[in-house]
Amino acid sequence: MAESNGLRLLIDEPFYQPVANEVRVFLAAWDRRLPVMLKGPTGCGKTRFLEHMAWRLKRPLVTVACHEDLTSSDLIGRFLIEGNETVWQDGPLTRAVREGAICYLDEIVEARTDTTVVIHPLTDHRRHLPIEKLGIEITAHRDFMLVISYNPGYQTVLKDLKPSTKQRFVGMNFHYPPADVETRIVMKEAGVDEGRAKALVAAAGKARNLKEQGLQEVTSTRALIYAGALMVAGLDALEACVVAIIHPQTDDPELAEALLEIFRTFFPEQG
Amino acid sequence: MSAATEDILDHLAAISFVAGRDARAALPAVTSLSETAVLRYLETGRDLFFYDREAGKAFFHATADLMQAFGGLDPWLDQARHFLSQRGTFRAAVGFFEQAGAVRRSRGADGEALWFDLGATWIDRHVDSAASYFRVPAAILFGNAGTEGLRALLAPADTLARGRLGLGTYLEGAIRVRGICGLDGVAEWARRGADVLAAGRVRGEAWFRLESDEARNFLLEVLPGFHMGAHKRLFGLLLQAWTGLHLPLEEGGWSLEGGRSFLETDGRSLFVPAVMPDREEALLAFYHTGAHLVFDSYEQDAIRALFAETGMEHPPLDSDQRMTWRPLFARFGEDMIRFQLIFDLCEDLRVDVALEREMPGYLARVVRAARGHHLPEGPARYYYEAGLRLLEDARAGRLSAGLAVLTTPQAGIVDAFRAALTWYANTDLPPLTLAERASAYLPGHSPNAARPVYPRRKRDSDAPEMDGGGGLGAAGHEEKPRESPQQAEGNDPDMDIPPEDIQGTGGRVGVGIPMPAKVTGSGRGVKGPRGGWAYREWDYRHQSYKEDWARVHERSLREYDEAKAIEIAIAYDGTLRRLKQALQAQKPTRMAPRRRQYEGDEPDLEAAVQFMVERRAGRSPKASVYQQRRPQQRDTAVLLLADLSTSIMAEAGDSGVRVVDRLRAAMLLFGEALVEVGDPFALYGFASKYHDEVLLYPIKRFADRFDTRVRALLGGLSGRLATRMGAAIRHSSRLMLRSPAQRRLLLILSDGRPADYDDGGDPRYLQEDTRMAVKEAQDLGIHAFCISLDPRGGEYLPLVFGPGHYLVLPHLDSLPARLPEIYLRLRGHSA
Repeated sequence: MAESNGLRLLIDEPFYQPVANEVRVFLAAWDRRLPVMLKGPTGCGKTRFLEHMAWRLKRPLVTVACHEDLTSSDLIGRFLIEGNETVWQDGPLTRAVREGAICYLDEIVEARTDTTVVIHPLTDHRRHLPIEKLGIEITAHRDFMLVISYNPGYQTVLKDLKPSTKQRFVGMNFHYPPADVETRIVMKEAGVDEGRAKALVAAAGKARNLKEQGLQEVTSTRALIYAGALMVAGLDALEACVVAIIHPQTDDPELAEALLEIFRTFFPEQG
Repeated sequence: MSAATEDILDHLAAISFVAGRDARAALPAVTSLSETAVLRYLETGRDLFFYDREAGKAFFHATADLMQAFGGLDPWLDQARHFLSQRGTFRAAVGFFEQAGAVRRSRGADGEALWFDLGATWIDRHVDSAASYFRVPAAILFGNAGTEGLRALLAPADTLARGRLGLGTYLEGAIRVRGICGLDGVAEWARRGADVLAAGRVRGEAWFRLESDEARNFLLEVLPGFHMGAHKRLFGLLLQAWTGLHLPLEEGGWSLEGGRSFLETDGRSLFVPAVMPDREEALLAFYHTGAHLVFDSYEQDAIRALFAETGMEHPPLDSDQRMTWRPLFARFGEDMIRFQLIFDLCEDLRVDVALEREMPGYLARVVRAARGHHLPEGPARYYYEAGLRLLEDARAGRLSAGLAVLTTPQAGIVDAFRAALTWYANTDLPPLTLAERASAYLPGHSPNAARPVYPRRKRDSDAPEMDGGGGLGAAGHEEKPRESPQQAEGNDPDMDIPPEDIQGTGGRVGVGIPMPAKVTGSGRGVKGPRGGWAYREWDYRHQSYKEDWARVHERSLREYDEAKAIEIAIAYDGTLRRLKQALQAQKPTRMAPRRRQYEGDEPDLEAAVQFMVERRAGRSPKASVYQQRRPQQRDTAVLLLADLSTSIMAEAGDSGVRVVDRLRAAMLLFGEALVEVGDPFALYGFASKYHDEVLLYPIKRFADRFDTRVRALLGGLSGRLATRMGAAIRHSSRLMLRSPAQRRLLLILSDGRPADYDDGGDPRYLQEDTRMAVKEAQDLGIHAFCISLDPRGGEYLPLVFGPGHYLVLPHLDSLPARLPEIYLRLRGHSA
């Protein structure tokens, strides 16, 4: 990976196991430089997919993790004081616009609405970024592409993306992959054998049924990979599931016990 | 025979023919004894007979048996004389004579002596208690714990006697308690019972008779084994995880007589016993029963096919739309239980093997648990062993061809039935009784046809997989028949007033569409129940109030429907979760920094830099360079008042959706959202039947918790009667004044105009009164806001509530999601 001025150019291929038509759709959107919106639950592979596509397209990637206190100047840039002078510093979005990178705004709904509207002119035919403080408007590099992600679970009554924002994007839905694909992913990523990968995926399938029972997020593919990795690192299988999957997922003792019971079925305790 | 002996016999015969005859008949048993001994014997008999005829008869009748058991007169003759010491001991004496021989034989001299002594102390103390004692079959009294056990059982009774509790009451309860939780349990039960008795006689006696809830609850507490009540949620979660089913768990039957308790299902709920032997068995029971549900043991087509297989008509469903398998077994007559057990073995095998495909190691767990148990006694043992062998053979792939069929993924209950018929035709499994059947099942297994079931629909899946491939959703059972409008307490005028007698616009049908009103006069002077709260009512025609005209009564709703509440929660899961997350982000306690403030506790670094930059660049920026962290204070209490009139039971247009369906969901979501917000809130419903019976139904008062009970109440909401809104608003205002909050919001949810049976058919009358009630509320500092489903609401709501204080929802379906949202918007405005 090469990194310069906040832009990452991925040299090695990030592993991504396509599930459906997502690669084809993304390439088509790229071809027309249309902005893309990735929707899906936590840990289902949205970010990994984008890294893979950036690598494939050989474009640098700028990732901004959005949060409530993110301001438009965090995205666009600001004046800094250097000695006795004020110096303009581009924000990540501006850099990507100038240099033709893929700008990835992760969990965009976390940002305030007034922040997100700055991307509007970039997402239609204009492909402009107005920089108010400099009094200029820059035209995007021809290889610039905007990608946002959001987790519909986080979507809120009061904090939803405005329909006018949403409609500017090509929407791609992500879900946890089917069991056989997920097994391959866990094997590949965690380096765990097929038996344990299958068991992890089967257990997660059951655990995901508990979604409406107080689990805000269900067991993610990422958590399965962590559990597999810990097994490879020498932890007992059940212990690995507890620390990688159950503990991070819930504080509710009964829910934790139910999850433990499920994982214990697939990874019986030793002795 | 000596003269003295003859004297006594003659004396007895002279007094009573029976006495003489019985004495003579008993004599041969004692003739081998010395003259003095015989004399002593006869004297005792005579004394007893003179003292009480029945006691004497019992004495003579028992003589032969007692002589044989004791080998002489000692000590029973002396013991018998003890009954002469008090009046009215004959019942105790009869019990003694009937049992003493058997006690001597089974418990030895010491045992008999203890048995007598323990009872004899009560002769002096309380004759009836002594009678109760001696009349309890001694084998039951001793139980399994011998003489020490008897002593321990009786020990608490002495203390209780001081509280004037008779031994009869105590013993009956104590023996049952001992059967359930052992002698230690009895001691604890008696200790607590003494306190209860001290607190009140009636309560205490109910405790000792095991008739009160507190006694039952106590027993549940001390019951040995794994207590299911404390772990219900865990089991519910596991059931959902493995099967994708979200079924209500209800309390199963629990008998004070003990015995084995099973997890049962009716296809729609699971009935959980109070205790199970251990956690593992409880888990296995849930897995196994869940597997029956998802692998179609109760699927309607499969059961139909089952009946077709036997050439029988599918039996008609019962009044609850449930079906029973009994007709299937009936043809086996007296051998019914045997066949039913064999069928259960086959069907359990099919389901267990199917479950094993999903849950690796399940069969091994059942086998392990079954081996860990004591084998049952009697014929049940053969069935238990057969079940165990089946599972072991299934694991090892050794099943006979006839049974191996059941282990294929395509096998169904009909295959199990066929296999059972073949097995039954060739079996030497012994017949057994219903009582013995209970112990014939392996751990976690239970009679599959224990309850009538609501037939289930087949899952939409080709490859049978437990949770249908991760698909969530409500149980695939048949829809319950639609509820009809419930009657309120008292009679519903809709039902019992002849149509020509109805005067007014009450009893609307359909959303907000009043029935054509035929006015024939003013309201009927029907006398409703007294009591309640009287409120004035505005009469626009006279431009004055009718004092104490409307009478409001608070009534409890009685229809609980937890299953419906769960169903709604599932259907609106997404909406609810989004709502909750939005609210969490908004929680006033979350100390989010407020940036770019003119004053504050800490500098806003970024704003400060920008300020400096802009200053240097020659501009004149605003000095908003601080940030503050403080929770935003919002103190709003809300009372949601829902119109529960008959019209909510109607469908909106021809959509097939009833107002009440969305109303339940809306109120549930509202409640869940408010819990998250943390604002004090209350939920009420209202309906009315004439001016003196305006009914307000508290669903959740301000002080109540929003818990399962409230949810179940909301699930069971239904419509009744009419809509006298003004009085309901006045009463709600009074309730709200009691809640401590700076801002009070009265949210009214309705589907039509205010109307009642006695409004004289003048829609304006109650409308004007409602307007006045809203105005009065406003004067008290209560903001009223109306959400209406009446498409014509725009005609009158602005007049009643004022512009901006109402909202007409054109789409009924949007109500559940909109209601909390509207509240939050209102709350934001008033904050």
